[in-house]
Formats: sequence, structure tokens, C-alpha cells
Amino acid sequence: MAGYDTAGEIQNTYASAHNEFGADPSFWVRYFNPSPAADLFENDPVSESEGAWASGGHYVGCISAPTQSRLSGSAAEGQADAQSFAAALLSAYHAVGPIRLPSNNQLWCFLDQEYSTSLSSAYWNAWAYYIAEYNFDGLGTYPLYPCLYCDPDSPYPNCSTIAGSTGVDVPAAIWSSEPEPCGTLTNNPAWNADSCSAAPTRLWQFGEQGACGYSANVDLDMAAPGYSMTNYCFNVSSNP
Amino acid sequence: MPSRRWAGAARSLTSPRHGPPLSRREMLAGGIGASALIALPDITRTGGRGDRPAASGHSAGRYVFVYGTLQAASSPGGSVAAAVTPTSRSRSLPAAIPVATSLATAPVLSPDQATVALVTVKDVPGGSKVTLTLIDTASATVAKRGSVTISGLPDGTNILATPVFAPGAAIIPLVLAITVPTGQHLVRKLNPHTGNAVTRSVTTWQSHHALAYFDSATGAFAGPFHLADQPSLALSTAVATARDLFVWTTREPQPDRTAKTHPKPPPLPQLNVYPLGSATPRLSVPALAPWPGGEPVAALPTGDVARLVNGRCLQVCSARTGDVTQLVVPPLNVIRAKPSAVTMQARPDGTLFLTKPGIGRAAVLDPADSFRVTASVSFPEPAAPFGAPWSKAVLSPSGDTLFVLGGAAAGGIAAYDVATGGLTASYSQGQQYAGLYQTPSGTLLAVAAKNPRLAFFSSTLSPLGTADTNLHVSAVF
Repeated sequence: MAGYDTAGEIQNTYASAHNEFGADPSFWVRYFNPSPAADLFENDPVSESEGAWASGGHYVGCISAPTQSRLSGSAAEGQADAQSFAAALLSAYHAVGPIRLPSNNQLWCFLDQEYSTSLSSAYWNAWAYYIAEYNFDGLGTYPLYPCLYCDPDSPYPNCSTIAGSTGVDVPAAIWSSEPEPCGTLTNNPAWNADSCSAAPTRLWQFGEQGACGYSANVDLDMAAPGYSMTNYCFNVSSNP
Repeated sequence: MPSRRWAGAARSLTSPRHGPPLSRREMLAGGIGASALIALPDITRTGGRGDRPAASGHSAGRYVFVYGTLQAASSPGGSVAAAVTPTSRSRSLPAAIPVATSLATAPVLSPDQATVALVTVKDVPGGSKVTLTLIDTASATVAKRGSVTISGLPDGTNILATPVFAPGAAIIPLVLAITVPTGQHLVRKLNPHTGNAVTRSVTTWQSHHALAYFDSATGAFAGPFHLADQPSLALSTAVATARDLFVWTTREPQPDRTAKTHPKPPPLPQLNVYPLGSATPRLSVPALAPWPGGEPVAALPTGDVARLVNGRCLQVCSARTGDVTQLVVPPLNVIRAKPSAVTMQARPDGTLFLTKPGIGRAAVLDPADSFRVTASVSFPEPAAPFGAPWSKAVLSPSGDTLFVLGGAAAGGIAAYDVATGGLTASYSQGQQYAGLYQTPSGTLLAVAAKNPRLAFFSSTLSPLGTADTNLHVSAVF
């Protein structure tokens, strides 16, 4: 089963998406700070969680989309962006009682690298280290895992940058934006996501709103064979 | 000429007058992950509608600075280089000259375009030395430089330094986010690729802010003035007027085991307004969400400031009271699944120019008339509306022509009549560009993924020439 990602608020999006695709999503992926051009999940996490619950897809994945030129920058910039991302996740977790961490203790945290953006090794390493080492809510379980959303075949540095990572700083997952064969929530294409050699693609944005002509403000995503994206998302375990 | 690589170690700043030029081959050398800046002397065009300079006086003849990541650099630092611009389609770009490496943050261009500010951070015994260098854009040489040393910092400290130009003022505030390691211990964490738990050392961090003020007339720094705001998030947003420095910060949420049974709303950001030169705020008020995170900001002629949040809402902050008025910008109030690049620029005539290429819109607002939308132009969305560079639509100096990247289907570039919203010209050979700028001379500079990455056009969209660079371009200043 596929899910949605959106820069809009879930509570203002799920009805139109349901009308268009006629099914409940398996999950949502939502934007957190720093994402200066999006509606942010942590700005109204209760309403967002209520929307996720009402949509039938009560799992919420996490992405941060900083100003893209920053991804070419320094370690200080990467660390600062990761710090705000982790803090936004924690503030949403604190704001909604029923939000739970994944039962496998692996919350995928995606950095949004768009097609024409260059990712510097200084930025990525600092960003990934901070995410991987964040002591979420003082639990001592370190559940955040750095992941990368990108177009692996882009001519800009993405896969080549993360190739220098080691251990848990290697992205736990690549979320590939290409190709885009389109499809629907229930009629997914066969798995054919682009990939980097340095890390496995686990999530595929097979349908983008603009390219596929969807009227609802959603892109469509599916997990790799053998994986369920719901295992790597916040779980809104009941209606807030 | 022997090839010279962009080295990993910091270089001293070298102006075009003092350093040997780099050959094109040298500009194509390097390694992964280094950010860099090249300076291009602008060309002055004559003839043709819209070919008049985009700015007069000092800025009309200035260099153009191209910032990006070296395609094969071994250094994570930054560089500055200079080169000249082609004057005909057949002439290639001559040599570039390195100016600096190891930039700590992206350059910042002054409102009058006379100066580019560069920041480097260097570890020194017991602390860090932050150096602010002002480059004269007319000559691409160092106009002024000063350093401030932050002492008492442990090894591994990260410093995020943001220079903020105050229009019409000689004082340049520097907002410093200082993130220090506060502890290190061993933990067990699952390696998702092997399924095995591994033991690793993890570091905890804590951030606070400091202010420093650089006097561009004397080259002297005042500060640093540490702010008692820890633990806070390092990310801040800052904008300055001729009198004040506005800084948005956010307290870092702390672990709270009671929150799952007694949920609490996310903290709001804090807005502090400092008189220029001071570290004591004259105003300190809670601000509206969202937290600071790269949103565009602008100083208004009234002394108030505005920040563009969520890609569609303008928050106008009163310099007198700190009160914030939020208004939706109707032309930008379109939500899509994917975020878009968003930009906001204060124009010399006091208006604001906003773009949101992901929905194919640009607009001009008049702050003096209740932020009335005085112009709105719709255009086909470009192929990469969110990726760097974020400038994908520019307004001519007279405000009558909007230049944009061509739509995803056509590519190239296009021009629109701002008054009517109609397409007036377009040029495409199928090339998809990622960014578009207008130089002070009026020349358009389009940025491509592969060499020749820099394409120059007249304001009538006639091709002027192209240039190779080994930079994956992130921004142009």
C-alpha cells in the first residue's frame, strides 16, 4: 500500500486525496523545520494528527527541506539544520499524547535534496551525525536515523557525497524522486526506483502531483519490497 | 600554466590584484564537497529595450559573485575566485582568480550591492577566530577585514556566523550561534544495514547566541556579547534596519517525561530587537510560529521588518512595539504537494518583490499601501522549482519586465510584461536552467546543471555567451 507526502497540512488535504484516490493511505510524510516554504507539522501537530487519524493512515514520516543553497555549505550549517529538525520532531512528540515512536525504534529522518541542489560532505556529515546521535526526549534509545530524499541520477553531488559516510551515518534509506511512472494509491507500479550505490533506496516517490496531474495536494510514495514505511514513522496511536 | 588544486586547508584571502589568475583548467579542478565563490566582472550592455544598467553608479560596474560546490573538491571549505565575462557569443570565459577558501557560511550581498560579506571561522587555542571580510564588488578586492575571537570554547565547537547588513549604516551586525559539545559517551545503536547493534561514541550539544558588531569604517569589532539564551536552537533569523537588529530565536525543547500524559504545545520563537551596537534588547517579545528556519526577510522603509513564512504569509513586525501583523499574500496562497523556492526582496522604490516558482507566480507588494498587490504575474512552472539556486524569476530595475526560467516543457528563459501579465519574449534551445539572475548591467545570467553552466543573455533574451565553471552553482550575488 502506498502513502502520501505533502507540504500542506494533513487535515486540509486528506479529504480531497480520498476523493481522488478512493482509498486510505498507508502513511503520510510531512515537513518539519527547517522547511521555510512549507506548512510545518509542528506548527499545529494536534490538528495534523487528527487529520492523519481521520484519513485512515495514522503513520507520519518526517522530512526537512531547508533553503537548498545551505546544503552546499558548512558543517555548522548542517548541524544547525539538523538540530532544528530534531527539536521540531521532539516538540511535535510532546504536543500530541498519542504520538508514538516506531516500535522498532527507527524513525527515518529525511533531508530533502532537490534535483538541482548540491550536497557538500561537510553539511551532510554534520547533519547526519547530529540526527544519529540525538538523545530523543532523553530516552537513551537514539531512535533517529538520517536518510536522504534525492534524485540519484541528478548530475549534482548527492550519491557521491554520501559515499563517504560510514556506519550509522550512511543514510538508513534513500527516498528516490525518480522515475515517475505515476499510478494511484491502490494501483502501484512495479518497484523500479532509482538508487545510489552507497545506500539502499527504501522509499520511492512514484507519482508527483505536477507531473502526474493529481488534483489533490499529494505525491504518491511506496516502500521497497519487503519494507513497510509505517515501521519507520511516528505512529498516531489514537485520535488526539 | 601549472594546475593548482583547491586544497583542503584554509587559504588566505587573495584578491585578483594580488594573486595569479586561474586557468579554466584550474577552475575545473578540485574535489567533492567544497563550496566556492567566483567573481565575474559584469559587462555593460548598450542598446535595446531593457538593456540599461540594472543599477547606477557603483553597482552598475561591479563583479558578480557565483557561489557553489566544487564538482571535485577535496575540501569542505569555500573559495573565492574571479574571472571575466564574455562579450560575445564566440568568446569563452577567461581565467578566474582564487580569493578565499573555507567559507563558514554563504556570502551576503549588501542592499546597495557595493559589498559582499564573507565569513571564515578558524580554531585558535582556547577558542575560535571569526573573520569578516568585506569584498568591494567594483574591484573584487578586500575593502575591509576584521576578526573577533571567541574564547573559552571547547574543542569541537561549531560557530554559525551570519552577517547582517543594516541599510545606510556603517555598523554590520554579526549574529553568532555557538554550539558546544557538552558531553560524550558510548551508546549501542542498531546499524540498519547490517541489523547489528554497534557501540559508538555520541556527543551532546548545546547552543547559545552572541552578537558582534563590525564597524566597516574603521575595521574594528565590538563584542562578542554573549546572550543568556541557552539552550536555544542555533538557527536564527536576522534582519537589520538603519537603527535596529531584529533577531528571531527559539528555545531548544528539553526532554520532558510528563509530556506524553500532559501534552504541551511547541514553544514559540522569541523576537529580540537590539539597537545597532547593543546587546541589550529594547524589545523582547514572543513571536508567531514558525520557528526561524531560512524564511526570507526584508527591512521596510518604515523601519518595520517583514518575514515571509510558509511560502505564502507575510509577518510584519512593528519596530516600535514588536507587534506582528500576519497577512496572506493572495498570489502566493496556493499550496502544492511539494514546497517551492520562495524569495522576497526589498526594492529601491520601497516595494517588495516576491516569487514562488513552484506555483508559477511572482508578485509586487506595496508596504506603503497596506501591502496591496500592485502586480502579479503567472508563468509556467520551471523544471526544478525547489532546487538551488532559489532565484528563478527576476524583476527588471524599472519593474516593467519579469524574467523567468522557461516552463518545464520548453526550458530556456522568458520575459513577461508586468502590467499585462502577457508573455513578451522567450528563448529556448531546450536547455533547462536551474536559476536566473540579472546582473547590475542588465545582463541575464542563467545557471545550468552541466557545462557550460553559465549562460548570458541580453535583456531582450539574445544569447551573449556561455562560460564553464567547476562550480555546481547554489546562488549568485
